[in-house]
Amino acid sequence: MSVSTVRSGTNLRLYILAGVFVLWCCAICVRLVYLQVFRYGTFEQRAQHQQQRTEEVSARRGIIYDRAGRELAMSINVDSVFAVPAEMPKPTSTISLIARITKQDPRELLPRCEAAKTFCWLARKPDPEISARIRSLNLRGVYFQKESKRYYPKNELAAQVLGYVGMDDAGLSGIEGEYEGQLHGRPGQMLISVDARKRWFGSVEKQPEPGENVVLTIDEKIQYIAERELETAMQQTHAISGTVIVENPRTGEILALANRPTFNPNLSRQINPEKLKNHAVSDVYEPGSTFKLVTISGALEEKVTRPDEVFDCQMGSIVYNGMRIRDSKPHGLLPVSDVLAESSDVGSIKIALRLGEERFYKYIRSFGFGQQTGIELPGETRGLTKPVSRWSKVSIAAISMGQEIGITPLQLVGLVSTMANDGVYVAPRIVAATTQPQSAPQTIAFHPANERRVISTFTAAEMRQMMQGVVLHGTGKKALLIGYSSAGKTGTAQKVDPATRAYSHTKYVASFAGFAPVNNPAVTIAVVLDSAVGLHQGGQVSAPVFTRIAQQVLEYLHTPHDLEIPASRQVWLAQAKASEKDLEEGSPDHPGEAIDAAESASNDAIAPALPEKRSAAAAQSNSRDDHAATVSRIVPASLRQTSRSTSFSQTASGANSQLLTSSAATLPANGTVVLDVEQGGISVPSFVGKSVRSAIEIAELSGLDLEIVGSGVAQQQSPPPGAHVASGAKITVKFRR
Amino acid sequence: MAKRVSVDRLLFIVILLLVFIGLVMVFSASAVIAKERYHSGYFFLLRQMGWAIAGFIAMMIGMRVDYKRLKHPAVVFCLLGLTTVMLILVFFLDRLHHTHRWIHLAGFSFQPSELAKPALILFLAFFLENRTRSMDDWRNTLIPAIVPTLAFIGLIVFQPDLGTAIACAAITICILFVAGLEIKYLAYSFVGSLLPLYFLIFHVAYRRDRILAFLDPYSDPQGRGFHIIQSLIAVSTGGLTGVGLMEGKEKLFYLPEPHTDFIFSVLGEEMGLLGCMVVVALFATLLWRGVRTALRTQDMFGRFLAVGITSMVVVQAFINMSVVLGLMPTKGIPLPLISYGGSSLFITLACVGVLLNITKQAE
Repeated sequence: MSVSTVRSGTNLRLYILAGVFVLWCCAICVRLVYLQVFRYGTFEQRAQHQQQRTEEVSARRGIIYDRAGRELAMSINVDSVFAVPAEMPKPTSTISLIARITKQDPRELLPRCEAAKTFCWLARKPDPEISARIRSLNLRGVYFQKESKRYYPKNELAAQVLGYVGMDDAGLSGIEGEYEGQLHGRPGQMLISVDARKRWFGSVEKQPEPGENVVLTIDEKIQYIAERELETAMQQTHAISGTVIVENPRTGEILALANRPTFNPNLSRQINPEKLKNHAVSDVYEPGSTFKLVTISGALEEKVTRPDEVFDCQMGSIVYNGMRIRDSKPHGLLPVSDVLAESSDVGSIKIALRLGEERFYKYIRSFGFGQQTGIELPGETRGLTKPVSRWSKVSIAAISMGQEIGITPLQLVGLVSTMANDGVYVAPRIVAATTQPQSAPQTIAFHPANERRVISTFTAAEMRQMMQGVVLHGTGKKALLIGYSSAGKTGTAQKVDPATRAYSHTKYVASFAGFAPVNNPAVTIAVVLDSAVGLHQGGQVSAPVFTRIAQQVLEYLHTPHDLEIPASRQVWLAQAKASEKDLEEGSPDHPGEAIDAAESASNDAIAPALPEKRSAAAAQSNSRDDHAATVSRIVPASLRQTSRSTSFSQTASGANSQLLTSSAATLPANGTVVLDVEQGGISVPSFVGKSVRSAIEIAELSGLDLEIVGSGVAQQQSPPPGAHVASGAKITVKFRR
Repeated sequence: MAKRVSVDRLLFIVILLLVFIGLVMVFSASAVIAKERYHSGYFFLLRQMGWAIAGFIAMMIGMRVDYKRLKHPAVVFCLLGLTTVMLILVFFLDRLHHTHRWIHLAGFSFQPSELAKPALILFLAFFLENRTRSMDDWRNTLIPAIVPTLAFIGLIVFQPDLGTAIACAAITICILFVAGLEIKYLAYSFVGSLLPLYFLIFHVAYRRDRILAFLDPYSDPQGRGFHIIQSLIAVSTGGLTGVGLMEGKEKLFYLPEPHTDFIFSVLGEEMGLLGCMVVVALFATLLWRGVRTALRTQDMFGRFLAVGITSMVVVQAFINMSVVLGLMPTKGIPLPLISYGGSSLFITLACVGVLLNITKQAE
């Protein structure tokens, strides 16, 4: 009995104990349900926030190639430095130390890093030496992240065409901006799970897709020629800005597009927005006389006149609807061809009146004015073209000579190329293709996409003939080439002073647009210089630039000569050769003087024919120097009969005479001058004293193939520093500890 | 007298399931840490499997050996003495990290405090078997029963391992309660323990922090509240079905000891409410079958043994879960049968073997 009472007592207590446990168990279950069902969302957000960061893995940006597959813009990997201040034992001193290395202001960097406990950039895309130095310090809480840095191996070359990228690798102007979608690629995503010690467990969720490459129609060498000659012209004319466009008139491919002022896209932090401007597509200017090509070709096409029909230019003055227009030079009776050659305003007004407003406007439009050419560059403007309904009584007169209308230099190229291309307008293009990321540069068949006939083949031939006349005996005599026929049209437009809204008498836009050779044009070149100081006529300042570029480009393109090199010039060539020798030997006595005298007497028309004065005659008037220097430059090429263009390696600075003397002094005796473009070489940097790592980075930057022997610090290298080697050449560097 | 029946199959299956879940979770929770510390993701899993096999052998032995053979002074006091000696020894042998919990012997490490629990259970069961009617005789019953307990608890507290000490106290209270201890004595002991507890907790910085963190984890989320917040985040991230086995992120160095004391967090994160409920249900079943066994055992020794072993497992399990779920301040108590830890697993399995043997002989 007592046993049973004891047992029943313990039984009761067992039940009580079990009950307590069951209650506890229920509490746990309730808590579980509360946490996992009702608090599910809130805690999860917190968890996501602290553990997972979806970092973008930037895709490798596509390469921009020129038409021959030479890299104009490429991406290289560099180490960016970031800090996790929470991990640093002494954040203040560590960050100050890094600020000293990266030459930043610690007062700016410190608060930024203290604000962000877990992540803070210390240096984005620094120079390899800087990141290597920071790495060598082996600081706690300092990490490196590979980022791709845009690198423009040719620096300023075609800067406005290429554009540049910002810190986050986004294209900000030029092709970089226009083709951002293709170049950028699709960034991958890396799910980074951060553990309690802030160490990363990264798993790539989505592989980045590298951007497509863009192949331009630009030819790096032609671009270089254009850039250099434009630079020379800028220094001689002190123009505010200038642009040169070289185009293949058959296909509309832009072979070169140069702008001044310019910038180095590698230094994207210091770019002045003014320098970013691609004048060729975004400048709207009054074309002046080059627009007479529209007037006259339209009139010819409509058969309202003939090239040999004579107009009375009324000794350079006409009153039309109350507006008096004066020619810069009085002309009497001129055939249409000479109206163009002499650029008579009176003549072109009369021709335009015969064409009539409606038809004139039709040609303006069909030559592509007042609309975008559709070139693959950002910021292209349409220009300013009023429909006939908004023309004033005198508009037709003004427009016939290129006033009251705004065009872009690229539209001018389109106009001239239409003449060159047998009357068919081809829209200009600068992008040949985009190619897949991994593909090697390839030949791209290029078909003009957008072409339309504007004038008949016959009219175009007539126009070419007349444009050749401009060069042969008109305003564009400085556009004469050696061994090639050339044609073109000069233009000198007064700028409208924005303050007075009247035409300025001091500021002009000097332009020349032409092509060569005349009967089978290989290139169209337009040169537009804004506000040249001193000489300002298109025929004076822009035509010589055309000449220099055309001569070199045609040689470079292996274009067959269509003219004999005149005997007199061949004589001169021989003399030039001799004189070079003389100069080299320091004996300037030479029959140049006689010719020099003749040259001084002669006007511009014969100056190009007698360029030999160049070799001896040092101090000459600037106006002549332009052209003369050109000719002497091309001498060696002609001598060698090579198809490649050559030039002095220096660009003119200031007075031509000085240039010439100094250049001549450096000429080799045989007259073979190697163009620095063609040399294409890389000056071997010095590796001595560098670590293996920094040597690799230097080599990568310079495009050299590094062969590493040994380890430690570089002691010897071969070839030696300063030697010129081809891109990708192997450099052997010996390292020793 | 005792009718020979077959072993409690349900209990047996529950134990098997718990050990199996334990092995899976130990691997999931420890793989990353093991990879980092020992360069093999299987390091902890393999060790735990070894201990599990050893534990099962011990369990089979315990199942087969009649528990009544334990009711012998030689066995009881040997175990008591051995435990005492080992508890004292750790103070001299193990100087790691200012804590004295382990005895390392021939490549094995052993926690004597784990042995203290079965030793206490066995002693109390043995001692109280015939004293159920004199439970209020404090001179002859209570003091002798409590002295070894207090000695063990004292030794364990100074290891220091407050968690195990509290577990020992809880087991003792359970057995004494079932044995018929008057409530007033329980109340006395509760009041009496307040003062030492106060000093033990509020004069030891980390324990004070644990209490403060329990009361308001967000007062210092990066410091003392870190672990409990991480645990809550882990459990709540799991939701209904969890993020999937091996997919949990909290175990990546956020959770302290993800494969031992906080393995239930990992379970909550990876298997969700479903997985947690299964484990809770398994422990509840264990409780049910243990109490059932106690009720059906006529023999007081067996009854107390069953109560002691059942409460040993369940008390630890529930304390561990409560800590993980933020219901109790943090203690160093593993989740029995599931957490990584050889001594705990081995001894728990051996004890469960005894419990299973008792079920064989229950009515």
